[in-house]
Amino acid sequence: MQEAIPYKSQMAARSRLHNFLEGAVNDGGRRLVTNGSGTSVTKLVLENAVIVFGRRGCCMCHVVNRLLLGLGVNPAVCEVDEGKEEAVLNELSIINSGGIQFPAVFVGGKLFGGLDRIMSTHITGELVPILKEAGALWL
Amino acid sequence: MFSFYNYVLCCLFMLFFSSSLYISMYCFLPDFKLSNAYNINLTCTKAASIISSRSMDFPSTQFVPSRTMGTYEPIHQIGMWGENFKSIDSPNISPSMIVDVANKLENESETTSHELLAPSGKYDQDASKPLDKIQRRLAQNREAARKSRLRKKTYVQQLENSRLKLIQLEQELERARQQGLYAGGALEVGHLGISGAVNTGIAAFEMGYERWMEEQNKLICELRSALNAQTSDIELRILVESGMSHYLELFRMKSGVAKADVFYVMSGTWKTSAERFFSWIGGFRPSELLKVLVPQIDPLTDHQILEVCNLKQSCQQAEDALSQGMEKLQETVSATLASGQMGQGTYLPQVAIAMEKLEALVNFVNQADHLRKETLQQMSYILTTRQAARGLLALGEYIQRLQALSTVWANRPREPA
Repeated sequence: MQEAIPYKSQMAARSRLHNFLEGAVNDGGRRLVTNGSGTSVTKLVLENAVIVFGRRGCCMCHVVNRLLLGLGVNPAVCEVDEGKEEAVLNELSIINSGGIQFPAVFVGGKLFGGLDRIMSTHITGELVPILKEAGALWL
Repeated sequence: MFSFYNYVLCCLFMLFFSSSLYISMYCFLPDFKLSNAYNINLTCTKAASIISSRSMDFPSTQFVPSRTMGTYEPIHQIGMWGENFKSIDSPNISPSMIVDVANKLENESETTSHELLAPSGKYDQDASKPLDKIQRRLAQNREAARKSRLRKKTYVQQLENSRLKLIQLEQELERARQQGLYAGGALEVGHLGISGAVNTGIAAFEMGYERWMEEQNKLICELRSALNAQTSDIELRILVESGMSHYLELFRMKSGVAKADVFYVMSGTWKTSAERFFSWIGGFRPSELLKVLVPQIDPLTDHQILEVCNLKQSCQQAEDALSQGMEKLQETVSATLASGQMGQGTYLPQVAIAMEKLEALVNFVNQADHLRKETLQQMSYILTTRQAARGLLALGEYIQRLQALSTVWANRPREPA
């Protein structure tokens, strides 16, 4: 006998789909929000194959998103509000025991780098295999 | 009534007059024309008129030595002469006085117009018609003289104004130059006084670039001769390495001046006009250069062809991402500047915010140069030493060709205006 899908999960699925579509229409990536608390940031990093942290309206962040989208990746984008920047930065550096600058790209739960690293690895051809490995790309 | 005696007296006097006048004029005015009888008559009439007007206490007006006087028939002149003398009570005239007067008249007639009008009521009806003509012409001349004086006055005033304006402009130019705002070939007068550091940074870069260009041309020559002379791979390797590090040096210089004035780098002022035509975020597009250079490096192995193809595609993708980012930056700056009500002339807050947003432009220039560096490096990994040498030589000569194009363009024959 088929079980009816509970309403709650149905709504969750719908919101995720909505998020996805919204992200595709906007300048890239699924939009996520963080309130800067430790767990939520770590959760985001671990949940998503590719996630980009950047300031709201940052043009460099836009470049990263566009590049990743062009490769066929659908990155999660976390736009950090001005007030919460510090908290998020702190949290992220705890995860990675090192300094972090925006925009910061996490691939497969680990810090990958900034726009510089994305560009270099893309030119040398290393980026795509890494993304495939992390499960962000299929094909 | 004109008696015969009076007539003879007048003729004798006139003869005496003319001869003395002629002699004195010949002495004083070397270019006095002997053949011109009318001139003599002219001066005599002038002298007579002056004398008559002075003795008669008429208001002296200026006399026009117009050539029309010469059209008078001598008989009429003599008649006038006679009439003049008739009215003089004591013809106690010395030749020197007349000479003086004649000289004065001759000199004065060199400049603007002067008129001397004999009282018209004294003359016969025969002489009145020509006299009317004289009067009319004299009046016209007066008018013309007044007009030309006015014109001269306004012209001089305009000249003075232009001179003042020129001085002001020169001062402004000097001030703006000193403020170090003469960057990018455009004169920008800003209210926020940028320090002389900008100017120094740009000046240092331009000098550095000149040296870099000289060094670059030397390197190109060395590469050319090395490739022609079939030198060993090891020597070629050295040349390739120095070529690569030379480009890295340029990127370092650009990064330095971008911190000082990013608009200077974006405008590409230090380059020639044809190079600027291909400018993308302060330099060449890597993908475009690849398209130009790869055919020069033939033959390539299959593996190399594949790698180069991938590199071209990656370059293109990276360039697209950067271009889209630039568009977003333009939108952001434009939206920031245009926020709020426009039209009141108060916009400093908007300008301040836009300044902050513009700081991202430095990042774009750095990222674009980073992309160029990475592409260059990747090519050096894919290619063999000899191929890399050929590639560097081709790149150098391509830029030289662009510079030659700019020079020829600048010196092209233009159609006469």
